[in-house]
Amino acid sequence: MSVFAGGYAGQILYVNLSEGSFQKKILERDFALKYIGGRGFSSKILWEELKPGVDPFSGENIVVLASGPLNGTPTPSASRLTVAAKSPLTGALGDANSGGYWAPELKYAGFDAIVVKGISPEPVYLWVEDGKAELRKAKHLWGLGIHAVGERLKEEIDDDTIHICAIGPGGENRVRFACVLTDGESAGGRCGIGAVMGAKRLKAVVVRGSRDVGIADPQRFKATLDLYRQTLEGEAWTETLRRLGTPNLVVHRQKLGIWGAKNFQRGTIEGWEKISGEAFREKFLHKVLGCMGCLVRCRRYSVISAGPLAPTYTKGPEYDTINGLGAKPYITDPAVILRAQYLCDDYGIDAQTAGSSIAMAMELYERGILKKEQVDGPELVFGNGEALLHFIEKISYRQGFGDLLAEGTKIMGERLNAGYYAIHVKGLEVDATDPRGYVTRALTYSVSTRGSCHLRGFPYIDEFITPEEAEVFFGTPAVSRLEALEGKGKMVAWSEDWVTLADLAGVCKFAWYRSRNFPMLIKRGLELMNEILAATTGLPFSPETLLRCGERVYNVEKLFNLREGFGRQADYPPQRFFNEEIPDGPAKGAKLSREEYDRVLDDYYEARGWDKKTGQPSQQKLRSLGLE
Amino acid sequence: MSRKRIGYFENKQDPENICSRCRMCELICAFQHHAVGNPRRARIQVITLGQGEDIPVTCLNCKDPPCMNICPTGSLHRPEPEGMVRVQEDLCIGCAMCVNACPVGAMTLDPVEGLAIKCDLCQRDPQCILYCPAKVLKLTDAGQTARHRMKGYAKFLQIAGEES
Repeated sequence: MSVFAGGYAGQILYVNLSEGSFQKKILERDFALKYIGGRGFSSKILWEELKPGVDPFSGENIVVLASGPLNGTPTPSASRLTVAAKSPLTGALGDANSGGYWAPELKYAGFDAIVVKGISPEPVYLWVEDGKAELRKAKHLWGLGIHAVGERLKEEIDDDTIHICAIGPGGENRVRFACVLTDGESAGGRCGIGAVMGAKRLKAVVVRGSRDVGIADPQRFKATLDLYRQTLEGEAWTETLRRLGTPNLVVHRQKLGIWGAKNFQRGTIEGWEKISGEAFREKFLHKVLGCMGCLVRCRRYSVISAGPLAPTYTKGPEYDTINGLGAKPYITDPAVILRAQYLCDDYGIDAQTAGSSIAMAMELYERGILKKEQVDGPELVFGNGEALLHFIEKISYRQGFGDLLAEGTKIMGERLNAGYYAIHVKGLEVDATDPRGYVTRALTYSVSTRGSCHLRGFPYIDEFITPEEAEVFFGTPAVSRLEALEGKGKMVAWSEDWVTLADLAGVCKFAWYRSRNFPMLIKRGLELMNEILAATTGLPFSPETLLRCGERVYNVEKLFNLREGFGRQADYPPQRFFNEEIPDGPAKGAKLSREEYDRVLDDYYEARGWDKKTGQPSQQKLRSLGLE
Repeated sequence: MSRKRIGYFENKQDPENICSRCRMCELICAFQHHAVGNPRRARIQVITLGQGEDIPVTCLNCKDPPCMNICPTGSLHRPEPEGMVRVQEDLCIGCAMCVNACPVGAMTLDPVEGLAIKCDLCQRDPQCILYCPAKVLKLTDAGQTARHRMKGYAKFLQIAGEES
């Protein structure tokens, strides 16, 4: 039996695909207290159990699928799953996070996490049910798209309540940015974890469970649940998310001119109204969806019911897919974006990197660096939706020019001697926005331990924190001034420790870690999070120890990356952001200053207790986190 | 004459007022009855039909309840004339005859205890209704459901007339 009063299943499943063997490891109380779950578990396991320098496609790489203690309870939006491995796209720590229903089901099936090692001699899928596991043949599933895999398995097993984490042809063909999808809808998109599963010949992990996820103190739990619900009532951000989903951000990006369109050659998009949240709602929205227990319901379910791309039924779009498949390749036909997203999902490739790779190739083609004879298919120019759809397929099967696109922008840049046009950090393409003009955003994206990521920290605090709050939390009122540099390193480090808690607990950041009101960030993300974690698990957490957990995980990830050779130089934004100004729109003239960036990076390292030259955490820091 | 039950009322014109498949009803139901997280112990289940269609299903509170009629031990009983059929746990033997008899699948066996479970309307305060973010669940009865349908039909007639 589990040593926990609630929250945890109490065991981790180890699978060796080469041997076809299984092992169950008890989840230790101390491990849970220090790493909580989710990304905390996966990062620690990868750091400890992976040998340095392994080939991400070899049997030595490890895939971890991890839940958090809140998954499976009625905690709102406790739906998130972490999938992790050494990334074949970056060579650094790789992880991705998805919503849906899979992580809760893993808990009902009796495990907190699954650790997969080795390579299977033949295609298999892993079946996990109520504390038991087996490997089943998957030769008949190999080659199928993710949606077909789901249908086939539900039919075969004769149960529509199973939950499936699968890869598509993209993962099988080792597209370096292949993703996993749970239940055909929820992408663990970034860093190429699907390609690692593909290299292991693991087509899917299927879970079904009927075990309880315990709740240590039901009364306290219920009281916290109700307090949390109250925080959502009438909140403008929540209502916007429900009405428009993440595509609500389209208007914001256009208004500020920070789209990063055309592979970061433009700040704004002509015809952006066609791909706004409002436009997608008007034309394609069937209904809003909620992941497990979600009261916000930002996910979309859309239908293309007319035109050449009909019928298409798909979840989405998300802002990020509009950015990756719309802004970057400069496509403003909303049906093409939706269809492209559907294809990325079915083939199992990350929409953001797929769009970035294609957009980079478009730029290279327009600049004459790529010649017509090198690029088969529809003309690779910005705005050509036909090319986008064509090359998504070619990438997934690594056919023709798709084979190079499937490497991602960093390797493509190296091969074509055009690295300048590869807009990535540590090999992961810059998503979401153009950080030029916002040095704290640039810092967050660049120090992120999985490569460029807008979700790894929360750099927007300086847009709304009051001088008084800034003084209390960061030691200087300057943090409340957008243009000031003072204290920003500390602010970014704090925001990383804090927002990481979402990935450890298994909750959604949009539902728990977003607000434009600093006291609300503290209330939801720290106080209520502490209450609900303590009520669920019975463990002696506190807001202070939780922040230490976030910091500990961030340090473990830093140690992992340092071991793989990612030092200070890997914590810089792409050259283009220093060299070129945003040429148009409201942000015209914005670029990053190297001097300013150096300063906030120094400041950040200092706040973190890391050596300014190497990024190495100090012995004192490691000791204080129990990592020596 | 009012046999109350949980009814599903969506508004197809409003994408936020359709079941969003968040399964909060399942989660809160299992929590209310067992103080745990485990949707397979819930008395209401969201059925996913594909192509964006999801519908929560639970007990209809029948006039002549086949579950109760077939129960071989008398565990299933109706304490109040119009009220929900209830399970008396010490009499239930987990034979699942009620599961077979229920025409809509609202009788299930608890996967942990192995005994029959069904909606009891949470002692008149159904938690699924309270927590449903789409607000598509309502305490209803056949009369109200019929009236609701009639309204929908009347609106149609208002626009189209009988002939179309």
